[in-house]
Amino acid sequence: MLPDQDNPGNATRAVSYDVPCPRPSEFPFDTSLVELSPAVDIYSSGANVALNRWPNIECQRVDAGLAVWTVPSWKPGWPKVHTVGLAFPEAIEFLPPEKPKDDEKLETIRPKKKKTDSDSVDENAVRRPTRLQPPSDALSLEDRLFYILQPPLETMLAGQELIMPFEPFPHQYEGIGWLFSQENALLADEMGLGKTMQMITAVRLLLRGGQIRRILLVCPKPLIPNWQREFRAWAEELPVVTVEGDTARRNLIWKMPGVPILMTNYEVMVRDMEAMPEAERPKFDLVVLDEAQRIKNRDSKTAVVTRDLKRKRSWCLTGTPIENRPEELVSLFEFMEVVNARATPDLRQLSKLADKYILRRTKDIAMKDMPPKLDRDAYLDLSPAQKYAYTVAEKEGVVQLNDMGDQVTVQHVFELVLRLKQITNFDPLTNESSKLDRLIADMEEVAASGGKAILFSQWTKVLDWLAVRLQQFNPLVYHGGVPTKKREPILAEFKEDPSKHIILMSYGTGAVGLNLQFAGYVFLFDRWWNPAVEDQAINRAHRIGQTSTVIVTRFICNDTIEERIDAVLQHKRAIFDSVLGDGDVEDASRSLNAAEIFGLFDLKAKHGKGTKKIAPKVVKDASSDAA
Amino acid sequence: MASGSKEHKEQIRLGFMTAVEIGDRNYVGGLLVTDRFGRPLEFQCTTPVKPNRTQELLYGPTLVPFILGDLLAKALLDRVSVKPSLIMTSRVEILQLRTKVAIPIIYDEASAESGSKPAQSNSSQSVGQEIRFGRQTFRMHEDFTEDQSAVERISQQLSDDANMHEPLERVGEALRETMSTVTARPRVA
Repeated sequence: MLPDQDNPGNATRAVSYDVPCPRPSEFPFDTSLVELSPAVDIYSSGANVALNRWPNIECQRVDAGLAVWTVPSWKPGWPKVHTVGLAFPEAIEFLPPEKPKDDEKLETIRPKKKKTDSDSVDENAVRRPTRLQPPSDALSLEDRLFYILQPPLETMLAGQELIMPFEPFPHQYEGIGWLFSQENALLADEMGLGKTMQMITAVRLLLRGGQIRRILLVCPKPLIPNWQREFRAWAEELPVVTVEGDTARRNLIWKMPGVPILMTNYEVMVRDMEAMPEAERPKFDLVVLDEAQRIKNRDSKTAVVTRDLKRKRSWCLTGTPIENRPEELVSLFEFMEVVNARATPDLRQLSKLADKYILRRTKDIAMKDMPPKLDRDAYLDLSPAQKYAYTVAEKEGVVQLNDMGDQVTVQHVFELVLRLKQITNFDPLTNESSKLDRLIADMEEVAASGGKAILFSQWTKVLDWLAVRLQQFNPLVYHGGVPTKKREPILAEFKEDPSKHIILMSYGTGAVGLNLQFAGYVFLFDRWWNPAVEDQAINRAHRIGQTSTVIVTRFICNDTIEERIDAVLQHKRAIFDSVLGDGDVEDASRSLNAAEIFGLFDLKAKHGKGTKKIAPKVVKDASSDAA
Repeated sequence: MASGSKEHKEQIRLGFMTAVEIGDRNYVGGLLVTDRFGRPLEFQCTTPVKPNRTQELLYGPTLVPFILGDLLAKALLDRVSVKPSLIMTSRVEILQLRTKVAIPIIYDEASAESGSKPAQSNSSQSVGQEIRFGRQTFRMHEDFTEDQSAVERISQQLSDDANMHEPLERVGEALRETMSTVTARPRVA
């Protein structure tokens, strides 16, 4: 019992219990007889004082057998986030960063344009942008990100600083993007698809991006004015210096600092590099070879000197990557440094390399909207005089070759072929020519409709002969015999003078690099050894900018050497297609090798009592030399 | 164009920030800073951040907004040398970054819809009014309506048909490329 706080001396106290209390009537006994407050006597015992003290209580921990565990503590802490970064050269201009507040001081520099209508927006939205893809040999993440993070070409070219004469075609965007991201590349688009502008624009973008600073363009000499014109048209702001003049001047130009683009021809490049001590030779970020088939012979001086050029990137441009043999590609690949020196890859390996380093599009695929080219081969019978001359020449020639026995060389056969081909053009005695008759008939139609035609022949002599006989069409003559200075005015006259209905060109001079898309007719008066060169010739007219169908007429005389040459060339087409892919339907760049030239005739030499088949002694490809 | 105004033009820096989930709740973020033509100036991306189970439980629905908006976005912005004048994002969670930095951030709702739209979270509450930028419509943070004037000022220096979706796609592609390269690379002990 606890002592009462109010009356500690009294051990008794009233305690009330908050429990229901039964009524007196319900008690089992009579409570009226019980005294509820009995008197209590407290005796002094000396211990009463102790009742005023609190008892001492000691606490002791008692193990209840229950374990208490704490929850692991957790704080909202995260490991530091690491970042990986890539800074682009242009960023230098933006460093150090300005405070964000400065942005508010920016002035409006251009009034906000009126919102374009939804049509134009939709048009842009539909068109798929051309994204740059990292080259397959870009291994580092930084290199790959560099390309992935570039804006689509359409956006890059939309900047006001890049003024272009007209919007590039989709395949050109693709080509520009491909070149931009390739260190070693062979752009082998079919002639007329705009390789020149793709190369110029890719160079322009690389210069802008600071990835290259010094470029060397090497091209055939006759094409230098063409390139100068194209650079003016597509990249007016780029200074291009042509390496020309006397030796001292050229040396000065080679070493001139601050010139982004140097242009020269193959001959000058070879001569100057050979004369220059190796230590003094200029270094380039990019070397571009136009008409790169010029280095197809890997042992030629041109190929050797070209490979020695100090450079970081190597590009080749050609519409005819293979003119004669697939192996010609190897020399180009060697320049591009994608095969080892003296490597001899087989067809399968070449095909693999082609997939990786060659971009080739044909007009069939790339320019579906381009007016078509209609081949209208004219199979003609020789005139009687021609027929007689041809038969005699062939018989005599074959007999003569057979008589030579083992002494016969490919040159001897070649001479016979040339003689026969000339007779198919016209009979030298009577000047009869079934081709000329057909040509005049066709030209009358062309002239009547105000059209213009280009005629190609292998021989300048034939061109001059034709010029005399086509006077009613006011012919112009353009071949290697025409001085270089007079050539451009001739082309301008052909373009601008409506009375000049035909231009007579040699394959060698007129087939490459010229833009004659205002002409709607092409005549191939005689067959070239190499369909690639024929295609080059045809594509002077059938190229971007052509607005009407180009009609191509090849004159082929029945039962003559021309038919046989054609058959051999067609047979070779399949082999070359296997290297350049199925898409390459135009590039039948295959000419005849020595064995094939021999095969045109059934040549046998006397051997003892019988005969034996005569095989070529000269392995060298005579036809390619001729081409 | 006046030379003075050209100087100003060159100072515009557009930021494109996005984040993607790779694999099992690995989050990576990327920020691309471009000039007004969309040409890249700098790119930063984070290493993957993967929340553990405890973090998932305790953060609940705020986990992804926290990782994207606070952790990744902040780290990227701190790290980048060329600070953007404006940030566009395709992740609504990154809009939250606006509460921590003084740079306008706008959210490309259409891009998010076409791409990987995040699960509905608290972040969507911060999406404010629409604003036109380039040829797209973006949304601002609802608490920072004053950003409108800054965004419009920058917008005036861009072409009206500038495509602002496209750079965000580039960032996404770069993130995937980075992750594929990193995961393909053998680990060095």
